Amino acid sequence: MIGRRLALAAALAAAAAAAPGCSPEREGGVVLWHTYTNGERAALEQLAEEWNRDHPDRGLTLVAVPYDAFADKLTSAIPNGNGPDLFIYAHDRIGAWVDARLIEPVEFWVDDELADRFDRGALLPLAYEGSLWGLPLGTKSLALFYRTDLVATPPRTTDELLALAPAARAADRYALAYANTELYGHAPWLFGYGGAVFDDAGELDLATAEAAAAGAFARTLVADGVVPADASVQLVATLFNEGKAAMALSGPWFIGDIADGVPWQVTTMPVVSATGEVAAPFLSAEGVLMSARARDKEAAFAVMDHLTSDGAAIVRARRAQQVVANRAAYLEPDIGDDPVLSTFRAQSAHTVPMPASPTMRAVWRPYMIALQEILRGADPGDALRGVEHEVRTGP
Amino acid sequence: MSAASPAGTRRPSVLAQVATYAALLVVTMAVLYPVLLVCKKAFEPGRQFALSASPMPRDLTLDHFRDLASAEGPHGELLFLRHALNSLVAALATTVVGVVLSCTAAYALSRFRFPGRRAGLTTFLVVQMFPASMLLLPLYVLLDRMGMLNSLVGLVLVYATTAIPFCVWTLKGYFDSLPKELEEAARIDGAGPWRVFFTIMLPLARPGIAVTALFSFMTAWNEFIMASTFMTDETRYTLPVLLQSSVGQYSADWGLFAAGAIVTSLPVMALFYVLQRSLVGGLTSGSVKG
Amino acid sequence: MTRADSIAPRAATAAPRHRAQLRDWAVATALALIVASAAFFVHRNREFREREEHRAHAAAVAVARGEPPVSPVDAAGVVSPATPSPRYPFLRQRTFQPVGEAAPRALGGPCAPALDKLVYDAATRFDATGPFKGFLPDGSGRVVAAVAAPGTPGGVAVAVSTPPSGPEPYPWLTFVGLIGLGGVIAAAGALLGAWRRPTLLALGASGLAVPTLFWTGPWPAAIIVGLTTLVATASARGATDRWAEALRAHRVALAFLAPAAIAMAILVATPFIAGLVLGFYDHDAGSWTFVGLDNFGHILSGGGKGFDDPGNFWFVLGVTVAWTAVNVVLHVALGVALALLLRQPWLRGKGVFRMLLILPWAIPNYITALIWKGMFQSQDGAINSLLDYAGLGGDVSWFSSWSTAFTANVVTNTWLGFPFMMVVALGALESIPRDLYEAAEVDGASPLQRFWHVTLPHLRPALGPAVVLGSIWTFNMFNVIFLVSRGEPGGSTDILVTQAYRWAFERDEYGMAAAYATLIFLILLLWTVFGTKVTRKEGTP
Repeated sequence: MIGRRLALAAALAAAAAAAPGCSPEREGGVVLWHTYTNGERAALEQLAEEWNRDHPDRGLTLVAVPYDAFADKLTSAIPNGNGPDLFIYAHDRIGAWVDARLIEPVEFWVDDELADRFDRGALLPLAYEGSLWGLPLGTKSLALFYRTDLVATPPRTTDELLALAPAARAADRYALAYANTELYGHAPWLFGYGGAVFDDAGELDLATAEAAAAGAFARTLVADGVVPADASVQLVATLFNEGKAAMALSGPWFIGDIADGVPWQVTTMPVVSATGEVAAPFLSAEGVLMSARARDKEAAFAVMDHLTSDGAAIVRARRAQQVVANRAAYLEPDIGDDPVLSTFRAQSAHTVPMPASPTMRAVWRPYMIALQEILRGADPGDALRGVEHEVRTGP
Repeated sequence: MSAASPAGTRRPSVLAQVATYAALLVVTMAVLYPVLLVCKKAFEPGRQFALSASPMPRDLTLDHFRDLASAEGPHGELLFLRHALNSLVAALATTVVGVVLSCTAAYALSRFRFPGRRAGLTTFLVVQMFPASMLLLPLYVLLDRMGMLNSLVGLVLVYATTAIPFCVWTLKGYFDSLPKELEEAARIDGAGPWRVFFTIMLPLARPGIAVTALFSFMTAWNEFIMASTFMTDETRYTLPVLLQSSVGQYSADWGLFAAGAIVTSLPVMALFYVLQRSLVGGLTSGSVKG
Repeated sequence: MTRADSIAPRAATAAPRHRAQLRDWAVATALALIVASAAFFVHRNREFREREEHRAHAAAVAVARGEPPVSPVDAAGVVSPATPSPRYPFLRQRTFQPVGEAAPRALGGPCAPALDKLVYDAATRFDATGPFKGFLPDGSGRVVAAVAAPGTPGGVAVAVSTPPSGPEPYPWLTFVGLIGLGGVIAAAGALLGAWRRPTLLALGASGLAVPTLFWTGPWPAAIIVGLTTLVATASARGATDRWAEALRAHRVALAFLAPAAIAMAILVATPFIAGLVLGFYDHDAGSWTFVGLDNFGHILSGGGKGFDDPGNFWFVLGVTVAWTAVNVVLHVALGVALALLLRQPWLRGKGVFRMLLILPWAIPNYITALIWKGMFQSQDGAINSLLDYAGLGGDVSWFSSWSTAFTANVVTNTWLGFPFMMVVALGALESIPRDLYEAAEVDGASPLQRFWHVTLPHLRPALGPAVVLGSIWTFNMFNVIFLVSRGEPGGSTDILVTQAYRWAFERDEYGMAAAYATLIFLILLLWTVFGTKVTRKEGTP
């Protein structure tokens, strides 16, 4: 009996040993995980090829990971030493990763000259607790897309936006569509009204009168038929494509979702008439971050430097229409004058970086629930106080 | 209820017959409708769903299938072929391992009386009650220690053990329903227990084994969470992971997703079609007679 | 089975007694060896960590005093206070004065040596948290320590060292010696016989407890003594003989069972036990703290929320039970009804209907869930369009009220789940002899009576286990809830598994998630014990 057990165990072990590629072949190379698809992926692969041509001894291996699986995979892989050396992600999880000691500070290698390469707004979000945790590739934020066949001049203020509604209603369409039950979609109004999630000291401060006013405004938009109620990101794209929404708040990724033959343009957010401030969406800075267990950190930083160089940024801007972080890239006429890139870059000056603190993770869902309640008629102040209470005390 | 009354000996009234056909047609249409919507999206241009209840596409295109088939890895590998091959290998290996392990275990639980038998049987049922998402991290660490991360072998072993409980239960029931006389006759003729098992029990239990095989195959073929977590090399992903990749952080390519969904579902549908007779018998007869 | 009777007389003879003593001693020693090895590794790792941290710390302290480090180091010296860049406060200049070198050098820059980065990061960490010592988190096995350097105002003395030798080797000789000695003692016990046999058996195997006393204190030693005493007692009472005989008698059955059992023990039981254990820990940023039953207390007390709050465990449990019950009833009702229709002997196209109706089972359920999510979209979604077409009003906002969101989930899962029940019912119906119906018809039974008295009793034994299985699957049906209603509105349609998932992956509270999972497991266990009993009672006339 025991003999047979042992024999089986040995057989299993032998099978494991014989299995091809049980140990990854990454000796001397740099492994980078990303979630890019389509154009962004193609641009990244081109840059990797360039790197590998020049550095055959320190080859860069790209691994595309599905977005849904990315964060969990990273948190299981890095502490066990199976993670990548570098990875590309938005800055908003940095806080949690720093606390868990998953990522490596990089300010050691960075001087002012290198930092000057980037737009300040793209670099600063990658700093957390006095250290720098990556170099920025580009930024993503919402802006105002509009169908040129349905909207002659886009509204510059929220009053103008409201004024567009009756005509749109009469034509059986919405003036605007955006993901209004999610904090990410609601953020432009929140910050345009002067509301906040955290105060300047980083303390939770989301049940302010300003935030309540923003909530009330979002409700007005639904009640007046300006925007559809509970629109998902997916629905926004569909409504826009079918001409059932004349405008949409969305980000650079939206371009791929727009159907062929739909005439469109993108412009910056309108000014909130009540405050005179530009509606400010969340900004996420996408950066190359380094794993705390990167095998060859110097080589990894060299790759990081290469991927965020001005030349690389130009490739990314051209091939993937990425809103790159490098200032020099916009000196290229085709990039600087690109209507989409210049719009998003202009918008990025009026944004609020997504908070990187781990507490933020506990805010998204309660806030979404509160927004749903507000849109259905709940008192914004009460709903937001509920969110604050829930985040403070834990669910 | 009269139309639904179980087989009488006489043919029921025309009205009852029409009602039966009508009821079946309605349910079948309800079943097919979402499937048709997927087909529509797969053959319609654009990434987003159109706002319409009609299952007929407005335009026809094969772009999504072409995109799916032509997706390339970092070194120009055709990802779709790789992933399909990985899925097939993983699913077939899981089927073999799952069937072998559950056949032997089910036979022991059905034919032998030994202390701890009931407990063993209960264990096989109980282990699938712990939510799988909570087992992901411990499994990761375990496979890492065993050196089976990023390998199909590790994935196959995990899939097989996921499939075993259901398979053991089904097969045990099936073995219970088989008559004991043949085995006893063989044993009197001097055949050992393993010989009896291989030459008599296994051929008899073919419908039950078919169900088990189908279930093991499906477990491996449809799984994507572990496959995307345990594999750290893009060429080792399976088809559902490719499908998962079409849903991004901000936007999703539903055309690609639908095309992938169809391609992924077809083999399992084909298996169901081939095995449907065994399925009906194999799943039930055990519990009926046992 | 006949062998079991022959064991008693054989056990009384002298020769096998020795063999039994040897066997039991081996078992006890194996158990003791496992505990002793575990104790050794705990001791070794702790000792190694303390020794190496102390070494680095001592080096840093020496450097702070301006002396050379007492032991070899990779790098040691004093780091100047940080001068932040005026434009980027998180970019800080520092200089490093290595021990024994004439001039300080600037730290950092694109081509700086790798070792310098460790020194630089150590100084940064010192500024944030004060003096520290510890292994680097990069898996390299190096140790770093930092203390204040009084010689330089604001300066930090840093030492980085690689352990000169690995941790203590496994004490083969000690263990072999103790085991040999134990074997002699146990053998002596067998020779002396009577009460001395088990006593010396326990004594012989307990020898391994002695070194553990020095390593990790009394606990492992107590466990070893306890285990060996247990084995010795069992041996004295003949229990080990009976177990050995049972193993021998059932070796064929066990051999058949072994492959599956071993695979399950490794790949299912281990993670499962890990999951159970984690429920007693609190997780914060990658570190775990034992908190006893706190997680369970928090969950079971409802977390201080009202029973009508979706954050309350009991509310979620209620939703989960309702979800499971409604689904299983619908699956069985629809499955049986369709099976009955498909069984009509005069029906044409049976195979086609059956194939099409099984279809939902063949499609991966995450695909199904995503499609239905789209169909339930409130703005011109397929369902609303159909309702509108049928004149039933097409502006239902499916996910803004509990009842409609729950309905959407149930519809999706019913679509997914009825084929399984239909197939089971079809199989069960095929096994009903036709003459039973003929007899019933002759007796003048109405169709309803025939269903009640002939069909149902035959369906029950097949449907019983299917219902138990189906209810377990539905209870843990993650994909539908997570992808269709996503818990909306306000988390009120979440079920226990999706809640557990949210704890783990949206709040990083793995401990709470594991506790949730354990509760789910316990609830299902109770239900199965109860459920299988019910079906067994009804199944056997």
